[in-house]
Amino acid sequence: MSEIIERLRSEGEKRYHDRHRYHVLMHEGRLTREQLQQWVLNRYYYQTRIPIKDALILSKSEDPRFRRMWIRRIRDHDGEAEGEGGLAMWLRLADGVRLDREEVAICRSVLPGVRAACDSYVELVRRRSLVEAVASSLTEFFAPDLMAKRVLAWEKHYPWVDPGMLSYFRARVTRARQDSTEAVAFVERHATTPDLQDRCVQALIDKTQILWQLLDSVYAEYVKPKLASKVKLRYDRKADRTMLLYPEKGLVLNPTAADTVKLCTGESTVRDIAIELSKKYSNATATIERDVISLVGSLAERGLVLE
Amino acid sequence: MRPYTLIAELSYRCPLRCSYCSNPVDWARHRNELDTAAWLRVFREAEELGVVQLNLTGGEPLLRPDLEELVAGARALDLYTNLITSTVPLERARLERLRAAGVDNVQVSLQDAEAESSDRIAGMQCFEHKLEVAKWVKDLGMPLTVNFVLHRANLDRVGEMISLAEELRADRLELANTQYLGWALLNRQALMPTREQLDCARALAAGAKKRLKGRMEILFVTPDYYADYPKTCMDGWGQRFIVVSPDGLALPCHAAHTIPNLKFDNVRDRPLADIWMQSAGFNAFRGEDWMQEPCRSCERRTKDLGGCRCQAYHLTGDAAGTDPVCKLSPTHGLIDAARAETEVLARLRYRSAKIPIQTAPSEPSHGIAS
Repeated sequence: MSEIIERLRSEGEKRYHDRHRYHVLMHEGRLTREQLQQWVLNRYYYQTRIPIKDALILSKSEDPRFRRMWIRRIRDHDGEAEGEGGLAMWLRLADGVRLDREEVAICRSVLPGVRAACDSYVELVRRRSLVEAVASSLTEFFAPDLMAKRVLAWEKHYPWVDPGMLSYFRARVTRARQDSTEAVAFVERHATTPDLQDRCVQALIDKTQILWQLLDSVYAEYVKPKLASKVKLRYDRKADRTMLLYPEKGLVLNPTAADTVKLCTGESTVRDIAIELSKKYSNATATIERDVISLVGSLAERGLVLE
Repeated sequence: MRPYTLIAELSYRCPLRCSYCSNPVDWARHRNELDTAAWLRVFREAEELGVVQLNLTGGEPLLRPDLEELVAGARALDLYTNLITSTVPLERARLERLRAAGVDNVQVSLQDAEAESSDRIAGMQCFEHKLEVAKWVKDLGMPLTVNFVLHRANLDRVGEMISLAEELRADRLELANTQYLGWALLNRQALMPTREQLDCARALAAGAKKRLKGRMEILFVTPDYYADYPKTCMDGWGQRFIVVSPDGLALPCHAAHTIPNLKFDNVRDRPLADIWMQSAGFNAFRGEDWMQEPCRSCERRTKDLGGCRCQAYHLTGDAAGTDPVCKLSPTHGLIDAARAETEVLARLRYRSAKIPIQTAPSEPSHGIAS
């Protein structure tokens, strides 16, 4: 593998959304029915953006051979006829998780944060050069593994989902492999200068952040964090600070973290908590929300908070 | 400097007879247990010093009829109370009372992943009862820690231990290799695992730790006989922990009073704050002034603080020496020799009230305190 592809691979892998808490919960079978449904509903908006960004990529190329190759992606998504293709398959998935497919298809219940993230992906592709736009699609490197994992996890943990509806993910395992091979060859051939290579890496990093933001929005809206039963919050008067105590250990919280953890009662969503905190701290809710997500996530990884 | 954790050894008595018990071999001499009022005072004094965590242990803390009262006292002080128990004897009704009184976590010791071996190690039939208690703990909505002490006879079943802890819905799993002090040192020949056993167990634990991240905390305590450097024993002598023995000695660790010529004070005679700050015993190995070479000039000295004082004393006769576990120690050969003993088929000696007489020829003559 060439050096630039190696770089893209490692930078992308570090930031890929398979590690996002929402995915971790999904794969461990810990999402509720509503949480899983909302992921399907919101992620559909992302699916609808894919053919549009691929059409933008097409429009940037002067090479008929490239366009012939790339146009297959649009066909894959839109199908050759009504009811075929990736988008239609996603709507069948919506049926599979017992959602109203019309409601999903019109995208009116999509969270604003999800919409903004997906739109920014289209904007990224619109504004940048062809090779950067193609590089941004290279999250496909990691997609086959994620899809394979997802199919297994859904079959195991969410038996109420009609397993026939997982066909989209199954199909993506092979498709994404083929897609990424073509995109890799293109980037290798065209990202010839250090500057172009840096920009390609940046485009891929930006893309991973977009995928991450999408999940952050869903997580903030549908996760209600709660302190684990083994954890006790205690004011430490010796040092005028708050501690989390759990078997054999203690964790000192800074004042903001302490205020956040006090709101982790299982009653409020991450977004509610961020709104509550923004009344006390005058930062923007969006900034606070990111901090809350990161704190809750790291406490959950230690088993101190339940999501 | 303040202590964070009080380890209250409520009684050295215990119905189990595990041959690796960390209690001193002459535990039966310490019969004059503190009464309820004395313990409650110790809790209060500890909390005033800064203690936030309380481990109720022993021996077997359930043998104290006043356990509920002690737990309630700890709750009133807002201490995080961890009940460390063999579960023998315990009825469900009493567990409910203990929960109501304020136990924050229950740590159940299991001797192995299957009944026959577990009961043999414990010296009594109790495995099934332990599993039942572990279920009650979860059914009552309390957090559960499961603890296994690992040694040659059970180390090959770490995989089964992890599965059992998962079945029991444990929040935390301690896989603690035997520390060779007290009864464990006496039985070292029979308990010492092989390197292959250890490597295999460690790999299983690491895999499970990753798989169960965020759901079950797994702690794998490496046996220091197989490490190159010693552990920072108790996070340092007199740094974070106070142990109070059943008869009231305030100690920096469970075994400190087995080192002769150190003066430890009794909580009956002196306030805990005095003892913590000023007593000769607590100050004996604080800081670095007591260190000898190779510790004194070693760059690791601030990290591991020379290792375990009790181990240094029991293996070399010099409590201020470098822990022989350290590969830089001049007496490290003792550890190599002990590891070579895994070929020996030794008889286990069960813990009992009778003070054992040292007989193993390969042990140093000062190996066991009498």
